[in-house]
Amino acid sequence: MGKIVTIAVKEVRHILRDRRSLFIALMMPVLMTLLYGYAVNLDINNIKLAVLDYDNSSESRELINRFYHSGYFIQSQSRPELSDPEKVLKLTDAIAVMIIRPGFSKAVIDRSEFQVGMLIDGADANMSSAASSYSAVIFNQFLISQMPPETVIPGVTLSLQVLYNPDLKSSHFFVPGLVAVILMMISALLTSITIAREKETGTMEQLLTSPVTPRQIIMGKVIPYIGLAILDGVFVYVFAVWHFGVPMIGSAVLLLIIGVIYIIASLSLGVLISTLVNTQQLAMMAALTATMLPSVMLSGFIFEIKNMPAVLQVITHAIPARYFIQVIRGIMLKGAGLEVLWPQAVALMIITLILLGLAAKKFKIKIG
Amino acid sequence: MRIILALIKKEFYQVFRDRNMLRLIFLLPMIQLIVLGYAINVDVKNIHTAVYDFDNSTLSREYVKSLSAGDYFDIEYSEIPLLDINSGFKSGQYDAALIIPSGFSSDITLRKPITAGFVVDAANANSAAIAMAYAGQITAQFNNRQTKAGVPIELRQKRLYNPEAESVYFMVPGIVAVLVTMITVMLTSMAIVRERETGTLEQLMVTPIKTPAFIFGKTIPFAILGYVEMSMALAFGILWFNIPFAGSWVLLYGLAFVFLFTTLGVGMFISTITATQQQAMFFAWFFSVFAIMTSGFFTPISNMPDFVQYITYLNPLRYFMAIVRGIMMKGAGVAELYREIFAMITFSAIIFTLSWMRFSKRIE
Amino acid sequence: MNAAVVVNNLTKKFGDFTAVDSISLKVETGEIFGFLGANGAGKTTAIRMLCGLLLPTSGDGIVAGHDIIKENEKIKSSIGYMSQKFSLYPDLTGKENLVFYGSLYGLFGDRLKVRIESVSELLSLGEFIDRPAGSLPVGWRQRLALGAAILHEPKILFLDEPTGGVDPVFRRRFWETLYKLADKGTTLFVTTHYMDEAEFCRRISIMHRGRIIELGTPGDIIKKYNQPNLQETFISLILASDNNG
Repeated sequence: MGKIVTIAVKEVRHILRDRRSLFIALMMPVLMTLLYGYAVNLDINNIKLAVLDYDNSSESRELINRFYHSGYFIQSQSRPELSDPEKVLKLTDAIAVMIIRPGFSKAVIDRSEFQVGMLIDGADANMSSAASSYSAVIFNQFLISQMPPETVIPGVTLSLQVLYNPDLKSSHFFVPGLVAVILMMISALLTSITIAREKETGTMEQLLTSPVTPRQIIMGKVIPYIGLAILDGVFVYVFAVWHFGVPMIGSAVLLLIIGVIYIIASLSLGVLISTLVNTQQLAMMAALTATMLPSVMLSGFIFEIKNMPAVLQVITHAIPARYFIQVIRGIMLKGAGLEVLWPQAVALMIITLILLGLAAKKFKIKIG
Repeated sequence: MRIILALIKKEFYQVFRDRNMLRLIFLLPMIQLIVLGYAINVDVKNIHTAVYDFDNSTLSREYVKSLSAGDYFDIEYSEIPLLDINSGFKSGQYDAALIIPSGFSSDITLRKPITAGFVVDAANANSAAIAMAYAGQITAQFNNRQTKAGVPIELRQKRLYNPEAESVYFMVPGIVAVLVTMITVMLTSMAIVRERETGTLEQLMVTPIKTPAFIFGKTIPFAILGYVEMSMALAFGILWFNIPFAGSWVLLYGLAFVFLFTTLGVGMFISTITATQQQAMFFAWFFSVFAIMTSGFFTPISNMPDFVQYITYLNPLRYFMAIVRGIMMKGAGVAELYREIFAMITFSAIIFTLSWMRFSKRIE
Repeated sequence: MNAAVVVNNLTKKFGDFTAVDSISLKVETGEIFGFLGANGAGKTTAIRMLCGLLLPTSGDGIVAGHDIIKENEKIKSSIGYMSQKFSLYPDLTGKENLVFYGSLYGLFGDRLKVRIESVSELLSLGEFIDRPAGSLPVGWRQRLALGAAILHEPKILFLDEPTGGVDPVFRRRFWETLYKLADKGTTLFVTTHYMDEAEFCRRISIMHRGRIIELGTPGDIIKKYNQPNLQETFISLILASDNNG
């Protein structure tokens, strides 16, 4: 135990002395939280719409008004000299162009056949889908409003109830997931690099010739990073709750316990990587591939797992972050407890045990 | 010139001698491309919806059916009692629930107003908003069909560039831009810092090599690697994902050249403010994450809060992203992209000059 | 004879710390000059300034006919530098390293080939030249590093503790090579901790805490302090200086 502490103290000194790395390790969560909290906003609004209104009637203006007051569409750059809708899409910042030919108001009053055109920039599939369905809804509402009252049939009204995140804030979704990503980054990436560094500079050889067992060395090296990881996790958590107003409905204790299991899984991954590589550069590249990429891309952090191809969906089951993200979202946003989250907790535990076993078994420090 | 060549040759020797490094440089991006190509899918579909049909009539079933047409909603007549539906949301089994009250069909026939309930799990705000919009749209269409006397005015929509709304057509060009950024910034900064760490930089400094020769000799190999990565990603995207390429190859490669000055400049700059490879890697990564997130790669810049939108103007990747996507998807040329091109050239010139100035042949 | 190195009141400060404190010296062309001093005396800093790697805080100097402040880039073609740290690329072979450094000094084609052959003969590099530099035994690495430093036939060669960690036989051979170079007119500026090596030098300076405290031929210095050999002279000088300061 004393030896582990000695090594841990040395490691803490390394961390504290390397100001620039420490700066990044502490700034990264802040930057990422801000970026994900503000920049990653998948809600589609502010779709830039240009209108070529050749009817110029009170009806056409009413329709345009409805678009711009829907909260989904905003006015694009005005280039009145452009009359070709395709040119408008290409040369201005418009994502959609609506073309109202003359005769629109007449058609509305006579209830005769008529077509209003809309050209959508489909490059961003998500954006164009949203533009398409929002405009269909707004258009429909406009038509109903123009009908004589006696012809209006009430029909089905949807009563909408929004659970867990009534203000529909993206940050409530992304910021908790970020805790999982940051913990993985600190635990797996930093540990694998720090062990590789000792191999590269030859100090590992020095450590190994002292009467310390490899396992003690690893424990000593890993403990400070657990501390750093927890610190970063708390950082993001506090930021999430205070700055972004993410609710914390469930049990903090449960979150902490499962969080520690997750950290152990990440550290085991980091140690595993470090047994396979000898240089910092390789450790970094391997850690990025094996930990960061899947934790961000395949964990459901940003992209929904159910929309992925079947093969990828299967792969996601092996990714610890997948389970932890479900856990942290469940606990914070929905107040879920173990009665609902036990499958995730069990899966995480199994993965952790496998990784820990592998790391312990593979761990023989060789000087390469 | 021959001195630059000697430096380039040496750099390539070093890259190609390290098998592991080589594998990572070339495999990593390809894995990234495949995973991202498939995983990045922000289309909202397959919304798992629990249906509680207390009317159970022809009309109510028709309404449910109209909801399940298309791949927006995954309809399931739920076994969980309605009172316990929350547990279905908490465990993630359902994203939404549709509740049709009894009397649905008779009220429609009697032309009385009816309300159906639609409950959404909005933890993922985006999916929730879109699910609600879809449900609203489908309900409106259902109403129109029932009222028969619908207005014959229609909104005809047409999508340009990507009519099938394939996310991958949009994401792969983005990944190309991201890869070029990450690879060149990271490798350049680390390669220079490695020489400092191992002492070979000092040995280089006492040779009569001129600063420009050193800078170009040190950056050109990574520019070449950047080009190779970009070409591989493009080839892969076109052959594997069938991404259309609408525009000019010459323009794309030419502008990539301009963009490389920016990333190589940033890489060099990082190498002047860091002492170890670990630090260089962190700073390079820090920069990459920031650049990617504010480039419009994942999410449209127009969605971001105003102050973030202003920040994105300072991000050179933002312009390159728009350029790659514009050229590949829309066949855009200089006429459409002149603003981005101008901004990018300005950035490249400033950044490269700044790092050049910081780079001195003396050690301090 | 022209002086190869002339230095007046050269000073280098890092913040509050004065690494080199107003040193002055003169090294003649073709001379082997021993630059002695305890660890941390400021030798490496001084050499870096002479090579144009570091800008002095004050003072001036001329190396190979060029001003070390204004013409530091011009100096570099005329000098060779071998640092105390092994500074060749460990993942490149000896030959690749030599080709690389040769090119940086403007040697190409046949001329480069001839130079590599003659250097590898002079240093008896043999088949070691085709192995990755990082896998060579220390003694061979040192020779290879020397090879890289003399490929372009520099007028002045700066050697910063060139024989650290090398066995006595290797050291002897290394010095024989240095003598051959000196015979051909190369000026050698060597730092070392080995007093037997220092006695091979025509003149030596002893540096302590950034200052030169003694300068002259080894014989004169030993005589002046009335000691049996250079080793004892060095130790007593350093101790005496510590006691006084």
